[in-house]
Amino acid sequence: MASNTTGAPLLKVEHLTKEFPAEAGMLAGRFSKRVVSAVNDVSFEIHAGETFGLVGESGCGKSTTGRTIMRLTNPTAGKVFFEGKDVAQMNKHELKDLRREMQFIFQDPYASLNPRMTIGEIISEPMTIHGVGTKEERMKTVRELLDVVGLNPEHINRYPHEFSGGQRQRIGIARAFALHPKLIICDEPVSALDVSIQAQVLNLLKDLQKQFGTAYLFIAHDLSVVQHISDRVAVMYLGKMVELSDWKTLYTEPHHPYTQSLLSAVPVPDPDVQKSRNRIILAGDPPSPLDPPSGCRFHTRCPIAQARCSQEQPEFREIKPGHFCACHCAAPFPIKESHIDL
Amino acid sequence: MAKKHTNHTDLKEKPIPEGRHLLEVDNLKMFFHTEDGIVHAVNGVSYTLDRGETLGVVGESGSGKSVTAMTIMGLIDMPPGKIEGGHVYYRGESLLDMTEEQMQHIRGNDIAMIFQDPMTSLNPVYKIGHQVGEGLRLHRGYSKKEALQRATELLDLVGIPEPEKRVNEYPHQFSGGMRQRAMIAMALSCDPDILIADEPTTALDVTIQAQIIELMQEMQEKNGNAIIMITHDLGVVADMADKIMVMYAGRPVEFGTADEIFYESRHPYTWGLIRSIPEQAIDEKKPLTPIHGNPPSLVNLPKGCPFAPRCPYAVDICHEQEPVHITTETGHYSACHFADDPEFLKFAPDTSRSRGKIATGTPETIQTKPTGGEA
Repeated sequence: MASNTTGAPLLKVEHLTKEFPAEAGMLAGRFSKRVVSAVNDVSFEIHAGETFGLVGESGCGKSTTGRTIMRLTNPTAGKVFFEGKDVAQMNKHELKDLRREMQFIFQDPYASLNPRMTIGEIISEPMTIHGVGTKEERMKTVRELLDVVGLNPEHINRYPHEFSGGQRQRIGIARAFALHPKLIICDEPVSALDVSIQAQVLNLLKDLQKQFGTAYLFIAHDLSVVQHISDRVAVMYLGKMVELSDWKTLYTEPHHPYTQSLLSAVPVPDPDVQKSRNRIILAGDPPSPLDPPSGCRFHTRCPIAQARCSQEQPEFREIKPGHFCACHCAAPFPIKESHIDL
Repeated sequence: MAKKHTNHTDLKEKPIPEGRHLLEVDNLKMFFHTEDGIVHAVNGVSYTLDRGETLGVVGESGSGKSVTAMTIMGLIDMPPGKIEGGHVYYRGESLLDMTEEQMQHIRGNDIAMIFQDPMTSLNPVYKIGHQVGEGLRLHRGYSKKEALQRATELLDLVGIPEPEKRVNEYPHQFSGGMRQRAMIAMALSCDPDILIADEPTTALDVTIQAQIIELMQEMQEKNGNAIIMITHDLGVVADMADKIMVMYAGRPVEFGTADEIFYESRHPYTWGLIRSIPEQAIDEKKPLTPIHGNPPSLVNLPKGCPFAPRCPYAVDICHEQEPVHITTETGHYSACHFADDPEFLKFAPDTSRSRGKIATGTPETIQTKPTGGEA
């Protein structure tokens, strides 16, 4: 990959924390101190042209992280720097400029396209808002974009309902690329699609990255999808980052027991491998972020939890250069031996 | 399970006639007559299923896999649906000839179903216990109290913590995985012969998906029921299915044992499904091999093989003539003109077996302690 991991990062997230009041309404937060701790002290960097994968189960705060970076919600604490500028301090005009450089691709290709707008209007909308080109020029760009994402440019006047799920996601991708942004936050862009169509969309995202040099923050709940597209991968659990490393290390030498269990839960389309590999099946659901467990937030479901795990919060420490892990015991599980097919 | 006063004799008590199977689907055709034309939703599906077996039905959205299951259950509105041919026999009795009243007794009692979205398939205004016990009251004549008691036991059985408390809660108080567990408890309440699971894990996280699959297998071992597992992801059925049917455009295009489908597949659509799954931990990042294009409209099916427009190996004959099933001695069939051409089969994807990298040793499964119930 053409990622440059030295130099100044494109995006820098420092100790990001986001809490939501647990009760809705006018007096929320005044009398009650109960909060949903959605994102807790998360730090990472994304370099230009790089794909950073962010993985975790529903409710782990991965989408909130993405939304806070774009300032669709304001952070409770911590800082987000985009090209050295603090996103949280930006005024309205600066934010508009920011969003020209930072775009979003959403999970649900049915809900994220306005059913009353034509494809041409949908894809040209970002350009219209930012006053790019004349109407003719914009339509020309839309046609080019449609061609790039593998749709027929003649369909420019059609409506979203005339397209299948995979095609709609291509429309969403064309819209995100309309302004040639430097960073695109992809929030589960393939989760709603069939496996065969997922592969089409993933390949398209990779091709476009090669062509335009865009960086991705790629959010997903499925490690196999993220692994395929990412340069570096971070795993989140209940608002905390538990492991971060380059993709290969994460998949061959996962250190955090949660990463190990996520990896062992990915179905493999090969019965022999599936039957012979080691597995960790986690009991129960993730605890509520309203009342996260003390100490290590994973200790209630952890297969190797010890007494200190319920009392002491593990530090997110660098165990090898570029490989971070938040676990008191952090040791690779024997799962490695049989299921990885190198 | 104590059987109480019911007017019906349970079909599942009836022995399977000599030489027949638990469920036999024979050349089933279900078409929908719509304003836009006739939708060929299910077009010639055949399979057999025995007790204790698991059949995986795999295909993309719109390939007819759910409609096949709904037809067997008698859940398709007719019109617009119409059965254009074929038979379904359950323990030798024709399901398609049964009255609605007879079918009502079979649904939930003999054949039960769980759905993809546990939120929309549970009624939000009734307590979980009421819904899990409904089948028992209806089919077994349990009293409200007895049904609630049994529902509590069932919730415990499917691994829901504090079942005495949970039984009195509403679906919105359950997480997605818990709801799917409750659905399984409901489906298994009357000890059915066949459990049809329509994408039961698609809406769930991978760790929860693993739990639910584990649970379904455990329950099958205990009860000996058959499972029909419908999914778009071949990975999900890899270690649970005995037989697999791959569907495309309303037709079964390949059918065989799990080993035959994964290691000796003879249809390019199955190859495409296997290749499009991202591999774990590969040395170099190869681009994924998607199946290009989209599934065809079931109203205007292309001439010839329905998969030909998306098939990378299609030649003239594929666009003109519809392939027939080419069957091997073991009953493994494929609807491809070249299914018995050894040269053609060399295009099949690599597997752990063809690479000779079968893992050895006994696998280890760690189940964490069940303390992690959500608040």
